[in-house]
Amino acid sequence: MTDLSSSSAPPGAVPSPLWQAGVGAAVFLVAVGMAWGALGIPGNAGYGGVGPNFLPWVCAAVLGLCGVLLVREALTGGYRQAKDPGGAPRAAWGPFAWVSSGLLVNAALITELGFVLGCALCYALAVQGLRRAGGQAGTLAPRRLALDLAVGLIISAPVFWLFTQLLAISLPGLTQTGWL
Amino acid sequence: MMDILNALLAGFATAITPVNLLWALAGCALGTAVGVLPGIGPAVAVAMLLPITAKVDMTASMIFFAGIYYGAMYGGSTSSILLNTPGETGSMVTAMEGNKMARSGRAGAALATSAVGSFVAGTIATVVVTLFAPAVAEFAVRLGPPEYFMLMVLAFTTVSAVLGQSTLRGMAALFIGLALGCVGMDQISGAARYTGGRMELLDGIDIVLVAVGLFAVAEVLYAALYEGRVQESENAMGRVHMTRRDWRRSWPAWLRGTALGVPFGCIPAGGTEIPTFLSYATEKKLAKGDDLAEFGSQGAIEGVAGPEAANNATVTAALIPLLTLGIPTSNTTAVLLGAFQNYGINPGPQLFSSSAALVWALIASLYVGNVMLLVLNLPMVGMWVKLLKIPRPQLYAGILIFATVGAYGMRQSGFDLVLLYAIGILGVVMRRYDFPTAPVVVGMILGPLAEAQMRNAVAIGEGSWLVFVQRPMSLALLGVVLAVLVAPRVLRRLGQRRAAPATA
Repeated sequence: MTDLSSSSAPPGAVPSPLWQAGVGAAVFLVAVGMAWGALGIPGNAGYGGVGPNFLPWVCAAVLGLCGVLLVREALTGGYRQAKDPGGAPRAAWGPFAWVSSGLLVNAALITELGFVLGCALCYALAVQGLRRAGGQAGTLAPRRLALDLAVGLIISAPVFWLFTQLLAISLPGLTQTGWL
Repeated sequence: MMDILNALLAGFATAITPVNLLWALAGCALGTAVGVLPGIGPAVAVAMLLPITAKVDMTASMIFFAGIYYGAMYGGSTSSILLNTPGETGSMVTAMEGNKMARSGRAGAALATSAVGSFVAGTIATVVVTLFAPAVAEFAVRLGPPEYFMLMVLAFTTVSAVLGQSTLRGMAALFIGLALGCVGMDQISGAARYTGGRMELLDGIDIVLVAVGLFAVAEVLYAALYEGRVQESENAMGRVHMTRRDWRRSWPAWLRGTALGVPFGCIPAGGTEIPTFLSYATEKKLAKGDDLAEFGSQGAIEGVAGPEAANNATVTAALIPLLTLGIPTSNTTAVLLGAFQNYGINPGPQLFSSSAALVWALIASLYVGNVMLLVLNLPMVGMWVKLLKIPRPQLYAGILIFATVGAYGMRQSGFDLVLLYAIGILGVVMRRYDFPTAPVVVGMILGPLAEAQMRNAVAIGEGSWLVFVQRPMSLALLGVVLAVLVAPRVLRRLGQRRAAPATA
């Protein structure tokens, strides 16, 4: 691994210490959340000395400690030995929003639209975002949109048939026929 | 010895029925195809294809899995060599020299040596599994909850503290995994934990969902966020044949890689990083003259042959702790353990007596799968390479469809898809901030098992924690855990002290 990053200069895409401190704080908050949740778990241990609330408390304690230590590392020169994650130094939020919407729309509508249409929609939205990330122009041209939707259908329909017809696993459909 | 042979022959009888051969073939082909996709390693490939087996007979599906498991590894090295996009840490080393070979027009030879090397290493390691797994299982029957718990703690510490860049980030990742494993109904007392009153969470979070979210969805989201402008160069294939010199240089590297990989796979503290890097370092050290000059410049064939063999030997031998102790030591074996659990089987020492037929059919199918992959892959490399021509937006969007099947097919709930998205975001943050992901998966899947063993152990000790130090085996394991935690630090400290006067 040392062969890949032999230069000692800070790599381009490593997040700034401030953000790193934020992630450390988030870990700490998760720990607080876990501790709060652990209060509601019964602790009766039965025959053993350990009840169902023991591991949650351990997790909360260790994560809390990790959070504090991460914040400390971040504020004293950044995470130790953080390797460059690759990619651009800045996030492209537009494309991310498109891909996210694809996943979430699918999650919300899959039971109503059925697997095939839901996934085709998810595919079209995600392709939209990824094309934009790549800097392609004219991504909203009607012809291209239609093509994307068609490709989404072509991928998801056979998957759906494989599962419903061949393997008899029920996936949601728009109709009860098992074909759409 | 004769028992093993008989059992293995019976296993072969099951594995080479036409139907099961077809399953093996389908598994190998599907596994390779998914593994070839850039950024997708064996763990994701197995996770995405898991639900396919939900309605298939158990033996057939295990054979199918063995095919996917091996196929995905073959496929992973193909994309590492051609595109420099390793999907798992194990193939990172392969990518280092392999991609250089590809750039200097020797992609064909690199692919061939990794295919033959994987076959050699996989077969030798399978022989080791055949010979030693029953013995380990016999021994493991004598282990009680305290020893099991210590073994799992050992797996936790190596996965999180030793393998990553930073112990702190590894620990944070491990405990996030353990926390995710807490969600749902407690198996011993039945108390609900962290369900927030949602029925969907009472069953816990599915490991497949986490694996697919953390690897596949996170990969797509990361690409959208940060990798839009990254340009990939595709390399010319060149001839697939290896020259006589290539063969002469590859053979010893395969064998050395296998010898390094097998022991690392056997111990329940695995990971492919150490053996592959060790193999790379060994080959580099042993190379002389022209061969040495090729390292890092044109790409040296030993640097592909050795680590690739080490990788395959490790993951194959990792089936020993998985099958006999129920302890997964890598992302992929963790997902495989999830597959076993979906069938209501808990791998462990009893597996060899209670489901002997299944185990031996699985082992036999490893032999079959290895041969099949070699036959399948040498001529078909050209076809897999065509998969790499799919443009990135379409490819990644397509991956989301398969991720949806993987997550949704398990439980049919839209809620799981929201969860999948959330875990995808977690994966992006972890990748960006250099947190290792393997500890999350291992922690999540082993956490509940370790917790149960711990509580049983303390119950055996009548409420006393001293039970862990009163039993010799458990005490010895505790010593190993401490050594694993402390030794690297001491060594580093010593190394610095020795280096300090030299630089001053």
